[in-house]
Amino acid sequence: MWELLARSLEASTVFLFAALGELVDQRAGVLNVGLEGLMLFGGTAAFITAQAMGSYPLGFLAGMMLGALLGLAHGFFSITLRGDQVVSGMGLWILSFGLTTYLGGPYTGPLGLGRIPGFLGLSPFFPLGVVLVALTWFLLFRTSLGLAIRSAGENPAAAEASGISVVAIRYLCVICGGTLAGLAGATYTLSYNPVWTYNFLMGWGFVSLALVFFSMWNPWILLAGASLFGVMWQLSLSPELVLPGVLSRYVWRTVPFAITIPILVIISTSWFRTRWGLAKPEALGRPYVKG
Amino acid sequence: MRLGRHELILEPRPALPAVYAVLGAVAAILLALVLASVLFLSADAPIFAAYRTVFSYAFFNPHGILATAHRSIYLLLCTYAFLVPLRAGLWNIGLPGQVYAGALAAFAVPFALRATGSAPALPAGVLVALMVAAAAAAGAAVGGFAGALRARLQVNEILVTMMLNSILVWLVAYMIKEGGPFMGATAEGESFTLPQPLYAPLLRGVPFTALLALGAAVFLDVLFAKTALGYRIRALGENPAAARYGGIIPVALSLFVFLLGGAFAGLAGYHYFAAVPGVYKIPGNYGYYGDLGFYGIISALIARGSSLAAVPIAVLFAGLSLGARFAQGALRLPFGVDYALLGLLMMTFIASHVLYQFRLTWRRVAAEAPAVQAEISRE
Repeated sequence: MWELLARSLEASTVFLFAALGELVDQRAGVLNVGLEGLMLFGGTAAFITAQAMGSYPLGFLAGMMLGALLGLAHGFFSITLRGDQVVSGMGLWILSFGLTTYLGGPYTGPLGLGRIPGFLGLSPFFPLGVVLVALTWFLLFRTSLGLAIRSAGENPAAAEASGISVVAIRYLCVICGGTLAGLAGATYTLSYNPVWTYNFLMGWGFVSLALVFFSMWNPWILLAGASLFGVMWQLSLSPELVLPGVLSRYVWRTVPFAITIPILVIISTSWFRTRWGLAKPEALGRPYVKG
Repeated sequence: MRLGRHELILEPRPALPAVYAVLGAVAAILLALVLASVLFLSADAPIFAAYRTVFSYAFFNPHGILATAHRSIYLLLCTYAFLVPLRAGLWNIGLPGQVYAGALAAFAVPFALRATGSAPALPAGVLVALMVAAAAAAGAAVGGFAGALRARLQVNEILVTMMLNSILVWLVAYMIKEGGPFMGATAEGESFTLPQPLYAPLLRGVPFTALLALGAAVFLDVLFAKTALGYRIRALGENPAAARYGGIIPVALSLFVFLLGGAFAGLAGYHYFAAVPGVYKIPGNYGYYGDLGFYGIISALIARGSSLAAVPIAVLFAGLSLGARFAQGALRLPFGVDYALLGLLMMTFIASHVLYQFRLTWRRVAAEAPAVQAEISRE
């Protein structure tokens, strides 16, 4: 039972890192629907580097740097060029899906390094995730930088008028968000499931994106949501632990995705929106035009 | 960016004539092909020989041409599935899911009517027509589900369609693997094979779905260019706020574009699994074919939403992806050249999109002005 829980928390960590980065992005008003692409590229770069160099730290570094670079690319398109953020995000996703399939192809198979040691079977990344959640919460709600980030996402014109550089804040956030997405991908390929296959994420990035909407842009709720999804994911992989012999294992695999849809529906109802929906950054997805 | 006394800036371009859109599309495709040569560098063959292998297989080899035709039909139908909602400003990235739904529904017809043997109960023509209709209906139902949620509650269609992709992937696995209802007799994780009377009618070796795909190009062009419905969809896509002022109600339209788009993807599923000669079953690696549907996204984007322009683009991409697959085997390249090309095309498309809307200008900065400016803003 503990083993299942520890494994679930490890899965949660991947969702958590990616979603936390996206949350910071979105708080500053930038929507990155290409999260899955950033994770795919980060994860692949981490896997290849770790295998070639025989070093985990270098692998994580490579994954995070590539994530940051792709975040920067998204920032250039959506902040400097003020392009459609959905076009750019989808572009990044397809780009990453295509290129990682090819670049990672020769590395298909297990990583071949010793597993990262855990504490009582729990991966060290989950505590790191909790620390990051606390840090993000503190940064966003207790510091002036956090206020600047939130105001850049709510009302960029007012933020600019009060002396905040919206462009700088948004760039900072997309780069941080990209780094975390790269870290999420690296955590997946180096720790959670250190076997490279093409399109290994199969929707984890999109689930993480959905988690940000569920979280009402609050890091603590995000932590709860990610943990819940981690458990659900792990149970869908081994349903025999709960309901042995009921339905095919393939049917259970659909459950985490199937549950996401009704939750998305609930948070989209006008009842929910008027009651709790005010947390959504007002300027989310809208390019900021100065002047 | 400042360099000495000069400044390099990106500024929005005034509207360009349409010919530049065509040039931009051509340039994006050519640039992607040039970038693809980096992929071939790892092979032993010289680059030109590699390209020759790709093109000669796809467009000149008799076996390759037929394969290109089959794949063109598939990609074209996937392109419409993405294109129709795109005209309304919505993103249908649920192409694989809708393709699988169409394929499952098509195979459900002979399964439910106990026509999987060689002597079907109903006339074969009726059964084939039913299969086509079922595939379109199932694709439309899956697409329409996302469309309805979008229309009624503004639920993000990207997330819903992506979740549906993952759900349908596993449902297909359930249906065809490990004793699932559609499992074939050989139990190799494939569906049962269609009996010969249910093979799709061929015209010169190409299934009749070619006519559907080409007819749809004309139909969609007329729909968007000449009809009030098409006008409303375009208005909603280009300026939702203005469309609402003009009395256009987005609810029914959002649902409609997803129903229509999903139906095309469903037909694509019927075509690739039930109509292409030599297949006639859902293979174990169906996921590979489903993911190919993502080419529909880039085809529609490069065609800038024009169904007629999508025809040559889809044919080209079909040939390129097939030829790249062939070259991969012939030149011992790593797996996934076809998907790498997809990624490169997306990158060059975005770049061409940027250059279409912006231009780089080189401007001389007045010597003293910036300092004065800074003083003023500080005060």
